Amino acid sequence: MPQDKELIEQIIKRYDEDTGMLIPMMQDLQSECGYLPVEHLRYMGGLLKVPMSRMFAVATFYSSFRLAPKGAHEVTLCMGTVCYLKGAPGISEAICQEFHVEPGGTTRDRLFSFNAVNCVGACALAPVMIVDGKYYDGVNPKSALEILHGLQPTEDSTETDTKEAVK
Amino acid sequence: MIRASTKFISANDIERFVQEFHDRADSASKVVRICIGTGCAAKGSRRLYELFCEAAKRSDQDIRVEAKCVGCHGFCERGPIVVVEPGEVFYQQVEEPDVAEIFRETVLGGRVERIVLIGNGRFDPTQISDYIVEGGYSALAKVISSMTPEEVISEVEIAGLRGRGGGGFPTARKWRSCREAKGSLKYVICNGDEGDPGAFMDRSIMEGNPHSVIEGMLIGAYAIGSEQGYIYVRNEYPMAVEHLKTAISQARDMGLLGKNILGSSFSFDIRINRGGGAFVCGESTALMASLEGRTGEPRAKYVHTVESGLRGKPTNLNNVETWANIPQIIKRGGEWFAGIGTEKSKGTKVFSLVGNVVNTGLVEVPMGITLRRIIDEIGGGIRDGKRFKAVQTGGPSGGCIPAEHLDARVDFDELTKLGSMMGSGGMIVMDENTCMVKVAKYFTDFLHKESCGKCTPCREGLSQMLHILDRITKGEGEVDEMEKLERLAELLEGTALCALGKTAANPVLSTLRFFREEYEAHILDRHCPAKECRGLFRYQIDPEACKACGICLKNCTVNAITGEKKVPHVINQEKCTLCGACWEKCPFTAVKKV
Amino acid sequence: MPTVTIDGKRIKVKKDATILDAANKVGIWIPTLCHHRALSSDASCRICMVEVDRGEWRQLVTACNYPVRRDITVYVSSERAKQARRGVMELLLARAPESRELKELAERMDVMQTHYPTVTESQRNCILCGLCVRVCEEIIGQAAIGFVGRGVDRAVAAPFRQPSEDCIGCGVCAAICPVGTIKIRIHPDQQEVEISPFKSRAKLMVCRECGTPIVSSEVSKQVLSKIQINWEEFRESLQLCPKCKRLHTAGKLTSTIANKTGDREGVY
Repeated sequence: MPQDKELIEQIIKRYDEDTGMLIPMMQDLQSECGYLPVEHLRYMGGLLKVPMSRMFAVATFYSSFRLAPKGAHEVTLCMGTVCYLKGAPGISEAICQEFHVEPGGTTRDRLFSFNAVNCVGACALAPVMIVDGKYYDGVNPKSALEILHGLQPTEDSTETDTKEAVK
Repeated sequence: MIRASTKFISANDIERFVQEFHDRADSASKVVRICIGTGCAAKGSRRLYELFCEAAKRSDQDIRVEAKCVGCHGFCERGPIVVVEPGEVFYQQVEEPDVAEIFRETVLGGRVERIVLIGNGRFDPTQISDYIVEGGYSALAKVISSMTPEEVISEVEIAGLRGRGGGGFPTARKWRSCREAKGSLKYVICNGDEGDPGAFMDRSIMEGNPHSVIEGMLIGAYAIGSEQGYIYVRNEYPMAVEHLKTAISQARDMGLLGKNILGSSFSFDIRINRGGGAFVCGESTALMASLEGRTGEPRAKYVHTVESGLRGKPTNLNNVETWANIPQIIKRGGEWFAGIGTEKSKGTKVFSLVGNVVNTGLVEVPMGITLRRIIDEIGGGIRDGKRFKAVQTGGPSGGCIPAEHLDARVDFDELTKLGSMMGSGGMIVMDENTCMVKVAKYFTDFLHKESCGKCTPCREGLSQMLHILDRITKGEGEVDEMEKLERLAELLEGTALCALGKTAANPVLSTLRFFREEYEAHILDRHCPAKECRGLFRYQIDPEACKACGICLKNCTVNAITGEKKVPHVINQEKCTLCGACWEKCPFTAVKKV
Repeated sequence: MPTVTIDGKRIKVKKDATILDAANKVGIWIPTLCHHRALSSDASCRICMVEVDRGEWRQLVTACNYPVRRDITVYVSSERAKQARRGVMELLLARAPESRELKELAERMDVMQTHYPTVTESQRNCILCGLCVRVCEEIIGQAAIGFVGRGVDRAVAAPFRQPSEDCIGCGVCAAICPVGTIKIRIHPDQQEVEISPFKSRAKLMVCRECGTPIVSSEVSKQVLSKIQINWEEFRESLQLCPKCKRLHTAGKLTSTIANKTGDREGVY
């Protein structure tokens, strides 16, 4: 936490301590830490003189905020109308079943975080799955699972049971 | 390529810059423009750009070739898109092997072909000089040097511009109200929180032509008397954020944003805020709450935001496309703009045409064009030879329009009469295999998840509607539930706090109006006519198409299929669990849904 | 001063007064839930819908926060307004089926039952009116609880759903809750007060004579800090429960009288 105190102070200074920029501040914090740790939010709220109830309200209102650590990879599935009509729910179900993860959550071995979002604006490529910023077009349950099984765990997510997951 | 390092200190500087550019640069006689919008970039267009650059360098002809990255045309379905000028020769689905051929034939050969082009793909959105050389910021120069704020508003009034985000409110009237509101501190906001699934007009504009938005805001701020602007961009559009940031930074460097712009007393700057992932933040008061660092909950609009908006100050909020129209209106005049479109809906509109059409992408057409022309002529009709069933317009606040109304003209008012709306321009085309009850459920579910939850009718009402629709799609619906849905819809429309809640029932209402027989089939016959709702249709093997290969039999987990070599296979409906494995696996599409 | 004609009755109100203010003045009852005159108006419950005449059409608006700026005509008892209010109440009854207070209000509105099933899983019996959140923030100044989540999963909770560190156990949230969902629980053995369902606890001050819990220590501390008084006897008397305080005062009175009149014992 000590070194992160500086990080939070930097973020607040970046936006001139303007509480109106709370959401960009939280976005910057999440960029650095991968999620919004409770203690960091407490410290930030303390510096900005924003009550914790409001910090928590904002952190839980917006879909892009995460209160739990994310995985080594970021997997986003578009659930916009066109993708939906072209079978996105089936792909989502397949991913959830195969990897025991829920939309908005992270796999147990922290291999990847799975998000279902509304339209990413690439409707011609439907159904669209984005892995670490790379767009995969026209995916189906089978191809999506193949892509995800090919993900390598990075240094960050090494835990004793990661080897099991890679098998 | 001229580096934009000059700082403009007066209105004439812009014209001089353009002049110098033309005098100095040995402008290339051929230019190859490669689209690097999200859609094309995902298909490798950046690599194409590299290849074209190499080819240009290697070229030992007298012709000078220049490759440029440009913003999204909107023809994403056919990407990557490459355009060669002069001649506007348009190439689609370009792959690496094509580069050599295109270069040889068109760039050096000069074959001319003319196909549809959208104004967007003309210049590199990350180079401000491109925008200026094509006439950008000349409207701003005109405004600052020769027009009063009231004259600017009059010009927009003559143009008859109406908000492009869905509301369709007359822009000049909004600007004037904001200008006349009490207080010297005023804000202008650009609403880039394009949340309608299937709509990506604003994304294209922000990515491909960010300066048009900045220039529009500058002109609006000048007219209203504001010095601070915000662009609120949806979190899911990273490239739009990046290009806007670059554009703003370049504009600042050249003195087009900041203090004393072009040597006048007018100062204005813009800040970009990214959304946090909430559809409801597209609603103006929710957006402003978000800009204040709070949860995006709308508030009552009995006192309009032009009087009391962001932080209680007079605020003018307009959509991306609305702002992007302003520079042209000032440059070419309000009357020119009013000459396009219909009597009450002036100008053009960008539509995103997606779904079961041959060509999906963006189209910009004059208002008043019929749905049929958009879908057939521009969209190329329904793909895979299927029949048209409905077109969903206006996003989750809109409705579905059936074939009998395809000759309806698309503008602010006509589609509303049919129980839908033009909205922000999203058009989702659906073919005969689409279950309209499922479509209604999809939109209701979407709104249910995105509702802020503040007011009772939206939060509870949508839950109740979703509960009913879910039961109907499972074959558990009751006859009186259609009426219940209509009553709930009426309740939402009358009592919900914001536009999201008030229009939330439109998808259900419009499908009940035009496709009631599908609801009745689900409820009374426990059957889904479009054969999409699991459990509400059966699988049957067509004896004429069946080749008795036995694949279906092998894959049936409950042994419901019987058959031998050369004998058409049969599904035992009593045993069948409707899993659909046989339908998926049959190589002769002999398994039919009935 | 604009005039409001409400169900035929005319009344002048100050500019920016609400329709609800006007209705109160002429004695016309409009049901409310999320409104409280001591707090800002959110107009989130939508139970106070009325119709405003717009010439060619009538607009449904919330009475509690619609500002009157010019002469207007309002219909409270029109069919459309009544239907709107009843529809909202039916949705609320489905949401909070166990609230006695809500049922009473519904009956007063002629809504005897709801046609909707209870479909919400989260936080039943809370109608999300936000009065508890607003009173804690605006009046008490602690902001110990707030809204969490979005849409149907929206709930009122303490930060991170842990007992709030900012809660002083004053119980105003329980007092203001219109459906009786928030409750105060006293835990005498631990000398603590708990606000349910937030699980927040605060230490109680007990009577130094008889040990009965009086008030949360934190509230007492805050009150004392706001009252500029140096009178030590006052501070001491705060540590007694009402009963002991009366005995204490009576004792002092009798001894005062006794001293004045010599050794005569008597109580007036």
